[in-house]
Amino acid sequence: MMVQVIVDGKNYEAEEGSLLIDLLIKEQIKVPYFCYHEALGADGNCRMCMVEIAGQKRPQIACDTLVKPDMEVSSKSEKIEKVHTDILELELINHPVDCPTCDQAGECSLQDFYMDYGLHESKVRIEEKVKHDKHVDLGANVMLDQERCVLCARCTRFTDKITHTHELGIIGRGDEAKVSTMPGRKLHNPYAMNLVDICPVGALTSKDFRFKQRVWFLETANSVCHGCAKGCNIYIDHHKIKYEDDMIYRFRPRRNDAVNGFFICDAGRLSYKLLQNNRQTMIRHKDEIISEEKSIALYQSLLKQYKNSITVVIDANLYNEEIEALVDYAQRIGAEVCAPLECYDDTEFADTMLKSAKRAANYEKVVKMGLDRTMPKTSGLIINFNHTETFYAEMQIDFSTHQRPNASFILPIAAYSEQSGSLTNEDGLVQMCEKAVHKNSPSPTLREWLQKVGL
Amino acid sequence: MSFSFTKANLERIEVLKNRYPSTQALSLPCLWMAQYQEGYITLDAIDVISETIDVPAMEIYRVATFYTMFHLEATQKKRVLVCKTLSCKLCGSEGILEHLKGHDVLVEHVECLGSCGTAPVMQIDDVNYENLTPEKVDTILEALR
Repeated sequence: MMVQVIVDGKNYEAEEGSLLIDLLIKEQIKVPYFCYHEALGADGNCRMCMVEIAGQKRPQIACDTLVKPDMEVSSKSEKIEKVHTDILELELINHPVDCPTCDQAGECSLQDFYMDYGLHESKVRIEEKVKHDKHVDLGANVMLDQERCVLCARCTRFTDKITHTHELGIIGRGDEAKVSTMPGRKLHNPYAMNLVDICPVGALTSKDFRFKQRVWFLETANSVCHGCAKGCNIYIDHHKIKYEDDMIYRFRPRRNDAVNGFFICDAGRLSYKLLQNNRQTMIRHKDEIISEEKSIALYQSLLKQYKNSITVVIDANLYNEEIEALVDYAQRIGAEVCAPLECYDDTEFADTMLKSAKRAANYEKVVKMGLDRTMPKTSGLIINFNHTETFYAEMQIDFSTHQRPNASFILPIAAYSEQSGSLTNEDGLVQMCEKAVHKNSPSPTLREWLQKVGL
Repeated sequence: MSFSFTKANLERIEVLKNRYPSTQALSLPCLWMAQYQEGYITLDAIDVISETIDVPAMEIYRVATFYTMFHLEATQKKRVLVCKTLSCKLCGSEGILEHLKGHDVLVEHVECLGSCGTAPVMQIDDVNYENLTPEKVDTILEALR
């Protein structure tokens, strides 16, 4: 039942019995917290989210307080500010304050709250602080700095409640307490790198991203992972260093409760590397780099030569708009269309969380459009639009994002991160991807090529 | 796995399973049994406990590291547990610790041994030795040799 709650003198509606902190987060009322996470639930160990509730003697933690009718909450007052400051001081007792070398700097809760509630010198001198290990390789690309940890237990709750693999725990007691795996054992689950996002401070960092770039230099675009047909929402974080090309530094999960919740798999997270390695950048015919005009003339003459025996092959990772344009294009030149899917089926990759056995982002679109999913016939001309399979055709033209050493005539195209478009995921949901990367010398997109070749 | 519970211990575990609403409650009794069986708690023992009571191994390991009375390392020496909590500190446990450095024993600095009225206290093989002075420590260790 929805009830009225008063926060800082303003009226809000909330479900009776829901967590007070959820209301504060939803209404963007500032409340500091480390241990609470919407995917992991309340734990109540960090004590940062204190609020005053009318009728209660002491301040209460918002993450463990249930909403009751006509509750009167105060999140800002001198008393509460003092409570936040004092608790934060305790969190910072043994913190090494090594922000200048910490990868979390810029997106660190501890840093943010310090600016809000701290701004004081530590009473504990750096030499007196309890020392722990600063470079613990937990496995699965996750590095642990035990000194930066605030023991919020988000990571241990992630391995307990989300992956059910139970690799992490807080061992020891008092100021000796620290996050650890069991001796000689490592993280072993395909979602482990989400720990890096879940950690509110710089204790868990990504081995892949650490020391590569300061986060405040990164630009972010909303996109969708192309690793499989699930369509997990991601942020593409990229940056162009002066005199160099725009580079992707990392993928991060973007919350979408209808698809992936808060997380993505490690395979998808690291798939950004594929977008940057072995890319085709030149137009090549046999062993010769040729100009665009020359390639268009060659393309036209091949079309004429193989008239009536042309097959257009479509990759199931292309955007909806591209697939539609290609089907349309094939019709105009009188070509057959096929989009082989079998090579994308990978049951070993699949699991019950986010990984799908259909390892092509737009698998569902191909199925929905009723395209021919068999392999193309090898006689005549095949115009391959970025399909990864080898076809052994009589004659083949490849529009390709990546290098193909055996291709005889290859034209480079832009990858999905270099243009915008939409994808249909395996549940039929159509999702937009923004253009993220702006290359110094961009390859034309497929649609631009189609215009160039005259249709 | 090289560790296995003795038949008597397995029977005790079965009896205990009926006593508590969840098997997680058996973590501590199982750790005690493993420690008394082997003198210390091996990783193998933790895995066996985990399987026996169906609780993740990390959970058992966590508990074993939390309580100072569980030992995770083997030793040939005599294990001397010296209390590090308030009463013992006030009554001179620091001096006892310093004095023990002169003896060939394994000293562990542990949480309260539950005998604050007779501080400072040390424990050897489950026996508390109370109202310690450096001289008394020498006599006790000599007698136990």
